Amino acid sequence: MIILIVLLALPTLLTIVYSLHDVPASGSSFGPFVGIENFTIIFSSPVFWRSAQVTLTFSVGFVILSTVIGLAMAMLLNQRFIGRGLARALLIIPWATPWLVIGILWKWFADGSVGGLNAVLMMLGLTNDYHPFLSDPNTALPITVIAAVWRQASFAGILLLAGLQTLPEELNEAAQLDGANWWQRFSNITLPWLRPVLITVTVFNVIYAFLQFDVVFAMTQGGPGDTTQVLSVLIYRQLFVNTNIGLGSALAVILGVVALIGGLTIVRLFYRREMH
Amino acid sequence: MASSAFERGRRRSPATSIAIYLGVLVFAIWILLPVWYLVVSSLITPSQLGVKPFPLVPSSMTLDNYAAVLFGNTGGKGIGSTDMGTRLVPAVGQSLLVSSVLVVLNLFIAGAAAYGLSRYPFRGARAFELSVIATRIVPAIAIIGPFFVAFRVIGVLNTPWALVISYNVFTLPLAIMILKNYFDQLPREIEEAAKIDGATRLQTLWIIIVPIARPGLVAAGVLIFLEAWSEFFYALVLTNQLTVPPLLAGFQSVQQFNWNALAAATVMSMLPPTVLVLIFQRHVVGALTAGVGK
Repeated sequence: MIILIVLLALPTLLTIVYSLHDVPASGSSFGPFVGIENFTIIFSSPVFWRSAQVTLTFSVGFVILSTVIGLAMAMLLNQRFIGRGLARALLIIPWATPWLVIGILWKWFADGSVGGLNAVLMMLGLTNDYHPFLSDPNTALPITVIAAVWRQASFAGILLLAGLQTLPEELNEAAQLDGANWWQRFSNITLPWLRPVLITVTVFNVIYAFLQFDVVFAMTQGGPGDTTQVLSVLIYRQLFVNTNIGLGSALAVILGVVALIGGLTIVRLFYRREMH
Repeated sequence: MASSAFERGRRRSPATSIAIYLGVLVFAIWILLPVWYLVVSSLITPSQLGVKPFPLVPSSMTLDNYAAVLFGNTGGKGIGSTDMGTRLVPAVGQSLLVSSVLVVLNLFIAGAAAYGLSRYPFRGARAFELSVIATRIVPAIAIIGPFFVAFRVIGVLNTPWALVISYNVFTLPLAIMILKNYFDQLPREIEEAAKIDGATRLQTLWIIIVPIARPGLVAAGVLIFLEAWSEFFYALVLTNQLTVPPLLAGFQSVQQFNWNALAAATVMSMLPPTVLVLIFQRHVVGALTAGVGK
């Protein structure tokens, strides 16, 4: 408990203090107190709003795709088929792979001159020439989302599959005897059964979405231009490239508050619905 | 069980079976294609890499890239001054050191904390659990500044200890949650019996609880190892490419680097966590989902 307070509460508090000061580049003292000036600068800056928009787009795509693909994979792997054990082991690979490595892996998979994604599209006859996905402002953000989803969908799939395995078969069989079709069984039995797992998975997905740094940093470093500059990358640049600790800390406070509100809202929303 | 499986198999139409196997095929391609591309890249020469379209099954393979990153022979193939080969093995060593120290340390601290939470619920225990969840929501980037300054002052910047200390922020809450859930499921009767026999609390914990809690401890240990092995951001800011992830990131940003060698290093960095999780799959998934239903 004390360890957690020292390691977490103290630095968090310090970050808030930093955010209210104009901290010199050396970072050895707080520098002059500037109140909410850092926040006024941020909120009147188009770079911040552009970055917030990128973060939101990234997050919405990431959360929806990770949850839906994860659910689809869990449903599929819960069926009986030859090689099911092997398929379930495959699910582990993306989840066990470090986020940064996923960024590197997908950066090169989507590479414009040697990438495997281009090779596959070419073999399928979908393109004639290699396309530089990550330096094209239109495709850079979607590819980073897909790379992050590649990992997170597996994590969601693992948890949801474990949830599905506890679903009593009699429930489905009884419904089938009563003439319920696949969709009716899915929406009336499977989904309600999975709700607690879905809450957990969604909360994790939202957190990883808002706080994602590794994948974007490895793949694009925020570029081309600022088309993939999510807030965490913007903060990194402010803190460690521009060494603007006051401004960076203020940004970090904003991101932290947004992530906290997002996570808690989802928990409350789901729990409230559960009470009805 | 067997008869219901049989009936289910009989009831399934051929169309459903085909749909399922098509689904499995798409699933396998989705997971394996990027990994396959990486593995193939690590087994071919730079000139083969330039072939369009990229050969999914290469005509010839070599282990040179692995030898290069392991024994420092990346040579003049355009890696510049940063010779990956002399740095990967030490980085793997540091990653192993940081991860292992953290696992041992956290199992002791989190074990004691979780046992206390589970057996002696105090007022505010629920609030404590919520604050544990909250620690997962606080962005690493929001607390890195003070860490950086503090570590520079006490002189542990760019040492494994900077990571061992800072990683507690996310590994400790995780370990406490998992172990508390696990302890909650253990029967209390054995402990009471031990108490009647005159064992002290610590003796009970060490002689009775630790052996029967081993699956939970293993699961927590694997997850701590996984998080520590994967961590990139703290390692990037607090050290100079000490562990594997920042080293790979640094290698990647060097101009004109050898992608085949990086692919080999990347494959190797994926092996320890993947193998570990595959071995302890049941424990780990069980621990992850134990708290979910509540």
